[in-house]
Amino acid sequence: MIKISNLDFAYKNTQVFKNISLEFQKGNIYGLLGENGVGKTTLLKLICGLQKPQHGSVTVDGLTPSMRQPEFLQNVYFLPEEVITEDTTPEKFIQKIGCFYPRYDFALFNKLMGELEVDLSKRFNELSHGQKKKSLLACAMSLQTDYLFLDEPTNGLDIPSKALFRKVISQYCSDETTVIISTHQVKDVENLIDPIVILDRDDVLLNASFAEIIDKIYFEYGPERIQDAYYTEMLPGGYINVMPNTEHLESNVNIEALFNAVMKNKETIKNLMK
Amino acid sequence: MNNTFDIQRFGKVLKHDGLNFFPNFILSLAILWAIPVVIYLFTALLPTDETRHIYDAMSRVNIIDTLLKIAIIIAPAMLYKTCNDSRKGIGYAMLPASTLEKFVSMVVYCVIVTPIVYIAGSLAIDSILALFNGPYKDFAASIYFNKFSQIEYTIEQQSTKIMLDDTWPIFINNLSPAFMRALSCLGILMLSSIFMFGNMIFKKRKTGKMIGILIFLSIIFMILFINYVANNEAFVQYFEQLNEDNVTEFVIRIIRIMMNVAIYTEIIVSALLLWGVYRKIKTQKY
Repeated sequence: MIKISNLDFAYKNTQVFKNISLEFQKGNIYGLLGENGVGKTTLLKLICGLQKPQHGSVTVDGLTPSMRQPEFLQNVYFLPEEVITEDTTPEKFIQKIGCFYPRYDFALFNKLMGELEVDLSKRFNELSHGQKKKSLLACAMSLQTDYLFLDEPTNGLDIPSKALFRKVISQYCSDETTVIISTHQVKDVENLIDPIVILDRDDVLLNASFAEIIDKIYFEYGPERIQDAYYTEMLPGGYINVMPNTEHLESNVNIEALFNAVMKNKETIKNLMK
Repeated sequence: MNNTFDIQRFGKVLKHDGLNFFPNFILSLAILWAIPVVIYLFTALLPTDETRHIYDAMSRVNIIDTLLKIAIIIAPAMLYKTCNDSRKGIGYAMLPASTLEKFVSMVVYCVIVTPIVYIAGSLAIDSILALFNGPYKDFAASIYFNKFSQIEYTIEQQSTKIMLDDTWPIFINNLSPAFMRALSCLGILMLSSIFMFGNMIFKKRKTGKMIGILIFLSIIFMILFINYVANNEAFVQYFEQLNEDNVTEFVIRIIRIMMNVAIYTEIIVSALLLWGVYRKIKTQKY
């Protein structure tokens, strides 16, 4: 479990987090959402130990990430947004780092590369941006770490690749693996992420599973705009209205509408979901 | 699990660093290896007469030693250039190994592997060139590891050419080749630790900035020396008291003091800089 308690963090004069507390339970695929610059990547870096909290604590299974102990590092893998590759093939790259991870599976790597339709023999610099991303995803998943942190993983992927990405994550991540996907392209991770964490500047606005969300919030698709709704948006053929679920009706979560509703009614939804 | 140092994991780090960083550095070493070859070819192409310089083994050993220093200076930035880069260094920071293992591996490559690979390559190339009937006579390899005995011998033989003709041989006789070798290794450690530290604290133009700092510090020390030591009245008076009888003793004493200061400074500075490198690996933010 990842436990963040009373975390304060700032880059020089820019405050990013102020006294935030948050938990990530094991075995879930979390969607970490938020506007640009709210600190999604910074939060992932803090959890990975690439940054150190100025106040408060971050622990992963009781270990402090910023100490960068091998016991911690062998159970986490962070795939940054920016694709940084070496002048080698994905195969050689994974063989070089795989030996450090106790559950690394080269057969799984080969299988994933096949599923993601990336040529094994090509060097990174011969691959397109999307193919590089997919091959690094195959590398990350074949390490079979307990925690996998993906920062904007679908950026630069074409539409078929985004579908492949969702398929691979849902199919090959074990029940024990915790995946945190930081993204602002919510449509790409729809039907994949659950729970959802929405970050705001200095604050966590939402950390809830889909079941908890639909228990309290109702997503209505209808011909009319509802005035009291938290958020309303015109869609082809009607409107989507996000409103309190006072009658405990069942609905499907529309992540984009939820995100906009949360951003427009920060305190209200924060208090509602408490 | 041992989170401080595990020999098997350390072996993996050595292998990782070797595969990851060393191939790029070999290209830079190849340039350094090529310099004596260029000198050889240039000299060999000159007409064989009195103007053609014959490089004896000792001259080539000196060239190899100078280029070795360049190899040591550039090694950290060539081998571990990206390890403190906020984007490219993430892979290094997240590698499941302890800070101590990563640090020792860095020291092994910069302080031990680089000099050994460079010297081995240089001596091999020199030996091949010496086989031809060109300007390279005898083998540098034959005297390289006895060079300190060779220096002693040369000085004794040519003592008339040395300004301190009486003093220097007496002094040098008190220094064993083993001690000189240890001193040379200490010099390599200090030079390497300076540039390893520079590699960790600077993000760009690492070697150049470190050389700039060294030049700046040298100027500062020189100004301090001139102001507080050389212009010191007691010091000047002491100099004025020297005569033919006690100058030898004085020079030996001064050299001894300077050597002791140099040795202790090298040990302390190297230890502090290496500690700084370790701390930077441990606490570097990305």
